[in-house]
Amino acid sequence: MSNTVHDMGGVHGYGPIPLEENEPVFHETWEGRVLGLMMTASAHLKGNIDNTRSESEMMPPEKYLNYAYYERWFVRMEKACQTKGLVTAEELNEVWVGNDLPENKVADPLSPDDVRRNFKAGRNYSRQIDTPAQFAVGETVRAKNINPIGHTRLPRYARGKVGVITGEHGGQIFPDTNATFSGEGPERLYTVRFTATELWGPDANPNDTVCIDLWELYLEPT
Amino acid sequence: MPHDSHDHDHTDPPSDLTLRVKALETALTRKGYVAPEAIDAVIDTFENKVGPRNGAKVVAKAWSDPDFKQRLLDDASAACAELGFAGQQGEQLKAVENTEDVHNMVVCTLCSCYPWPVLGLPPSWYKSHAYRSRSVIEPRAVLEEFGVSIHEEKEVRVWDSTAELRYLVLPARPDGTDGLSEDALADLVSRDSMIGTGVASAG
Amino acid sequence: MTNSVHDMGGMHGFGSIPFEDNEPLFHAAWEARVLGMMLTSMGLFGVTLDNVRSRMEHIPPLTYLKVGYYEKWLITLEELAVEKNLLSKDGLAALAEGEEVPLPKTMEPIPTEGIIGFMATGATSARQIETKAQFQVGDTVRAKNLNVDGHTRLPRYVRGHMGTIIADCGGQVYPEVSARLEGDGPERLYTIQFTARELWGAEANVKDTVCIDLWEPYLESAS
Repeated sequence: MSNTVHDMGGVHGYGPIPLEENEPVFHETWEGRVLGLMMTASAHLKGNIDNTRSESEMMPPEKYLNYAYYERWFVRMEKACQTKGLVTAEELNEVWVGNDLPENKVADPLSPDDVRRNFKAGRNYSRQIDTPAQFAVGETVRAKNINPIGHTRLPRYARGKVGVITGEHGGQIFPDTNATFSGEGPERLYTVRFTATELWGPDANPNDTVCIDLWELYLEPT
Repeated sequence: MPHDSHDHDHTDPPSDLTLRVKALETALTRKGYVAPEAIDAVIDTFENKVGPRNGAKVVAKAWSDPDFKQRLLDDASAACAELGFAGQQGEQLKAVENTEDVHNMVVCTLCSCYPWPVLGLPPSWYKSHAYRSRSVIEPRAVLEEFGVSIHEEKEVRVWDSTAELRYLVLPARPDGTDGLSEDALADLVSRDSMIGTGVASAG
Repeated sequence: MTNSVHDMGGMHGFGSIPFEDNEPLFHAAWEARVLGMMLTSMGLFGVTLDNVRSRMEHIPPLTYLKVGYYEKWLITLEELAVEKNLLSKDGLAALAEGEEVPLPKTMEPIPTEGIIGFMATGATSARQIETKAQFQVGDTVRAKNLNVDGHTRLPRYVRGHMGTIIADCGGQVYPEVSARLEGDGPERLYTIQFTARELWGAEANVKDTVCIDLWEPYLESAS
């Protein structure tokens, strides 16, 4: 969803940055397992990055804020594994009460080599598009005032604000459609620089700026 | 609560709110800040003296008496005071009239401001995060949840109570109510119709 | 605070409206006591409505979303009791556990008749101001883009947007000043009508509008 608590840019009340000296990679063993599960089971969950983000954004706000980071991942994956039929609630319950589950393989898991190879290769979000660029570097644009119920990567704090295009990145998967599996719908991506005073008003430092990557459909000429 | 990240540098309050409230009331009473009988009187005011019945009487009178209706639209606090309805959170009342072209509804997005003297305390839904967040951006979807459908051609006008003005919707008088007494008309005026999430109906 | 979770206008994700059939006036007896305490003690605590609102906005976001309406009032009252040195947090907890805590009387409460009288008359926020109105009914104005880290009643969703003045409500206590307990600092208040399209974009119903009460310092000319 577009205007939920996850869209935190400019929001007050979250207090000082919680610094932690000698922070471990994982604070709990289960966190590492969650990350590992995510990267190995994702092939069977058939999600995509925008859809997973969208699922997190649909959590009830007080839960979204209450969950720890990896807990959010876990809750989302626990649900997805059931809705996609990888496991059943009954099977999970068996383990909760201390029973073992009999082996019943219905799919081939990724091997450690697969995982390392996937990780190294990364993913490519660039897509060829043939439409000419609507805007050019140096041009002034306005971020549209849109408030869709669905997923978007146009933050509230930038909507309606005027900035200057500082970069052009060609075609890229469009999150708003990709999140609903209605296609990658590639759109041209730009980096847009906004002054802090434009975003936050006259009390902001006039030397400060914020650069945001925004797709062409989010922008209009000024 | 394993995920509660705030510092535990103080004694956590007991989870039982009854005990917490009793503790505070005891402390305030012993220190002389409050008198328990005064708290009783406040509660009695909301349980027995103010409530949507007051607002309904105002609306019924406005439907029956055009001069009163005009006074209500000009200065709602003064008009309501004529009927004995005045007080805290009603000092600067504004009545907004539903017409053929406009349907009004009232919200307070920043807290939960509400016109106490004419409507009493707000219902839970009025204070809910859902109502506070959605009323300004999708008022028609919110109205649908109340079973109220507003024609697309009609304006839905949402009043967000940011200041100390308090809004009362003057609903449209239902058809077929000619000749009804003010008392009978007041029975047709629901609380929700005066917030704008309902309409007055002849039943 | 200005941009905290309390500023909910236009946010998604809070679900459908939670109806309750035959809702009681209070869901628990303690809620009524909290309401009563708030209305009877604000005067002696020396706080204003805006100051109380500001305190509630400072409740950490997660707590703000989790606790109920009257619990936010309770948190604020507890904070005031500790801040005014009535007793310590530990003292409050001990009381709740049923322990005896020394609490010498230092005040005379406002008598019941005083409370009832006040509730019956209220206290208006209207104030006389001498300065000339900067805007007239019918003027097009823009709500300023202000993001100060203090109390305000200018919601995020109207900032930067243009609307039309439909009423001049005269001088009124200014929340920014009143919340800091620095007096009334009255400013002229206007009611501004914004179209839903202006606020929410081209998808909104072309007929719909939102009317908001905004003080003069929140506004700039747009004509």
